[in-house]
Amino acid sequence: MKEKVKEIVQAIKKLTPKKRKIKIMNVCGSHEHTITYYGLRSLMPENLELVPGPGCPVCVCSESDVINAIELSKRPDTILVTYGDMLRVPTRIGSIRSNGGNYRMVTAPHEVIKIAEENQNKLVVFFSIGFETTTAPTAAMIEAGIPENVKILTSQKLTPEIMEVLMNDSKVGVDAFIAPGHVSAIVGSNAWRIFPEKYGIPTVVAGFEPQNLLLAILRILYQIAEGRAEIENVYRGVVKPEGNRKAQGLMYKYFYKTAVNWRGIGYIPNSGLEIRPEYSEIDAKVFFELPEIEEEKVPGCICDRIVLGKAYPNECKLFSVACTPRNPKGPCMVSVEGACNIWYRFGRNER
Amino acid sequence: MCVGVPMKIVEIDYPMAVAEAKGVRRTISLMLLPENEVRVGDYVMVHVGNAIEKIDREAADEIWKALDEVLEVLDREEED
Repeated sequence: MKEKVKEIVQAIKKLTPKKRKIKIMNVCGSHEHTITYYGLRSLMPENLELVPGPGCPVCVCSESDVINAIELSKRPDTILVTYGDMLRVPTRIGSIRSNGGNYRMVTAPHEVIKIAEENQNKLVVFFSIGFETTTAPTAAMIEAGIPENVKILTSQKLTPEIMEVLMNDSKVGVDAFIAPGHVSAIVGSNAWRIFPEKYGIPTVVAGFEPQNLLLAILRILYQIAEGRAEIENVYRGVVKPEGNRKAQGLMYKYFYKTAVNWRGIGYIPNSGLEIRPEYSEIDAKVFFELPEIEEEKVPGCICDRIVLGKAYPNECKLFSVACTPRNPKGPCMVSVEGACNIWYRFGRNER
Repeated sequence: MCVGVPMKIVEIDYPMAVAEAKGVRRTISLMLLPENEVRVGDYVMVHVGNAIEKIDREAADEIWKALDEVLEVLDREEED
């Protein structure tokens, strides 16, 4: 394995163009974790940048959605249920946890059903956040049948759509994408076709082992060297070109694409999934008539720029000084998939 | 949240199933895979308690090997 890694790294060094900067973006917290944890940046040539992009769903949940979740957790007739990472996301009124309302953590949507059955006198609100990898499981939960006392508060985002925003932002300057392995398992490697075809950006689907990620980087460099831009997939054991058709079908049975609010970024057309009007009886936003609250930025926090690959965590003045995983000021420091959190834990010695 | 874990299906009561990885058993949902495509003994990639794709045993072993270390770190962090 070591030999193989050495071989790939040598090939990467040889293939990287000498005269210009190459910026390869990953859009998955788990990719950023592998890159930082294994110190892959230190193996790269000086002019090859590996930049984390919008790969952390917790980081981009709008403040409005989180505040609505907090308010729901404080009602006497509700239990708010969500994934562990969401509990500590800071807002102007604190986090779900710090508000001390009625909340529960789950690791899978189907656990919500049990909570609802055990608490029939309460409304159980599932705060469904995430990219395609968590949205499809929420759709699966609805398909399996949910009790009447379950409502769903969505903050569901789409990965290809935010990546396209980056393409149209001249300040980002991405040369290639490493596409997220598990999102790709749902949407299919073909979902990224727009990037090579429309923007000329090589895009390689990768898994999460260091060797697999290095291989993806190498494939990207081959494409750049040969002047090609294509979809490649080095996570073949898991990802098919067409993705998981059943999962896609269920997602779009219950949800529809629409503009949603990204924290620090604002509304992006067609970048998220909301519950279809025909299922509005399960939609917490409709049921509780939840307001859309205008965002108040955390002073000094540059999470929005970090999410878009415009800045690295250590360029933030708050990073590791005022903002730490134990006392996060911005959302990127909360989630174990947030770039700031990952860099705080493993990446401070990066070049 | 996006950490996927390969698991082996040991019992099926579609859409639910019991799956196992490294001696740990967990109830998972198979709803994202067609009923006629999953059997006891199959390996699946599990994400937030849902099998999102079937994988072969070799892929499962390879991913597990790489995940061991990462999960250890994440578990430690989440306990903090």
